[in-house]
Amino acid sequence: MADTKKKRYVLVLDSKKCINCKACVVACKAENGVPVGKFRDWITEERRGTWPRLMATFDPEQCMHCENPSCVRVCPTGASWQRKDGIVLVNYDDCIGCRYCMIACPYNARYFREDLGVVDKCTLCAHRVDKGGIPACVETCPSKVRVFGDLEDPSSDVSQLLNTRRYLVKKPETGNGPQLYYLL
Amino acid sequence: MQTIEWGFLIVNYLFLGGLSAGLFFVSALATYLQENGEPAYPRIAKYGAMMAPWPVALGSFLLIFDLGNWYRFYKLFIVFKWQSPMSIGSWLLLVFTGITFLAFWAWLPEETRHRLFSLLPKRLAFLKRFDVNIDAWKRPLAMAGFPFSIGVGIYTGVLLGAVQARPFWNTNLVAQMFLFSAFSTGTAALILALSANKKELDFRQLRFLYTLDICFITIEFFIVLPYLIHGKLSVLAVQEALKLILGGPYTLTFWLFFMLAGLLLPLFIELWEMAPALFQKATIHHNKPLASVAAGLVLLGGYLLRYIFVYAGQISAFK
Repeated sequence: MADTKKKRYVLVLDSKKCINCKACVVACKAENGVPVGKFRDWITEERRGTWPRLMATFDPEQCMHCENPSCVRVCPTGASWQRKDGIVLVNYDDCIGCRYCMIACPYNARYFREDLGVVDKCTLCAHRVDKGGIPACVETCPSKVRVFGDLEDPSSDVSQLLNTRRYLVKKPETGNGPQLYYLL
Repeated sequence: MQTIEWGFLIVNYLFLGGLSAGLFFVSALATYLQENGEPAYPRIAKYGAMMAPWPVALGSFLLIFDLGNWYRFYKLFIVFKWQSPMSIGSWLLLVFTGITFLAFWAWLPEETRHRLFSLLPKRLAFLKRFDVNIDAWKRPLAMAGFPFSIGVGIYTGVLLGAVQARPFWNTNLVAQMFLFSAFSTGTAALILALSANKKELDFRQLRFLYTLDICFITIEFFIVLPYLIHGKLSVLAVQEALKLILGGPYTLTFWLFFMLAGLLLPLFIELWEMAPALFQKATIHHNKPLASVAAGLVLLGGYLLRYIFVYAGQISAFK
């Protein structure tokens, strides 16, 4: 039975828990057959100071499945599109490979597939989500950095977290309305 | 994982598209302005119309060749997305290219047209019905092409300027800059063509071109200048992006080769060429090699402007 209730899938990330094991990167590549040298998700590392006073931060990044995605807006053929539940996807058959969306994405979350001549990106594992599952990166994360859920459902983990914790989003000034929330 | 996705093919296309827009615009202006029922600047009108289709046709091929799936380019023409500058641009380009070819046809000398049709193989003899004189279409085509030449000239800049993720581009001044640069390169190409003609030089027509180019270059200069001032006074990301041409990797190319050699030097040469006319004399200096150098520099400047913007823009980003 089709679920007619409005959904808005988001990810909430607690970067402080990230240990930079890159299991999410590997899980994504295995799940989605991402070609060698290309990535749908990655960890941005920042190190400061010198021994013994030093710190390191790890930030998992990927497509932000924005509220108002510029990649979808600039696509000349409609190949880049957004589902009602917020997931931004590329329809390979309509993609002409102009790469305008890659240039328009402030998060550099897209990559070009030379073998197919099309642009590709994170799908938030829509194929799993549609069957009631969760994205591979979320499932595999050993330190539980990633929480996936429906923001429209007030009882979901993501809603609870965002109601009770402080968070930020990346590059909000570009006006895309990113939907990956980083807990502070 | 920021990469350069648009390379030299796109730089060439932006330059060639702009060049055609400029050629057609000036030619259309020369066709439109009339004296005693005849085009006031017939040679400019004709040369412009004859030259305009080719750069844009070549540029469009480069554009298609740059696609990941070049054979899917037709998909651009089965949808229209008003929010996508590339979609708007593709349609503009299609109509504009069509108009430039029609204008070319209208200006093609009759005997050349007959000769072209006589080359047709017998199987295609039915095409000879198109061997018609469309001389009367010259002015309507010029008028119809005006908005499209402006559209194509400006859209190449809008294509870049409408990307909010790239602070180096994200101002509407880029669109204006590209438009006037396009007009200036078109005018320069016509100065070259007129100067290269072995027939006696028509000073009046050359003067018209110099006047136009001086205007275009001056306007372009006063768009580049506010672009820099505006950028320096803008948000941090734009200030950071401007460092690419203010101390960064594109500084020398921008200031020495574009601003100085591609914009100001040709402006001064053209002003010098026009000097006698400015002082109430009917003639102009006409130093052929110098005029050709000025026109060549304008073309170089136009190319470099696109090179700098395409490359620097792609590596500019919000932190």
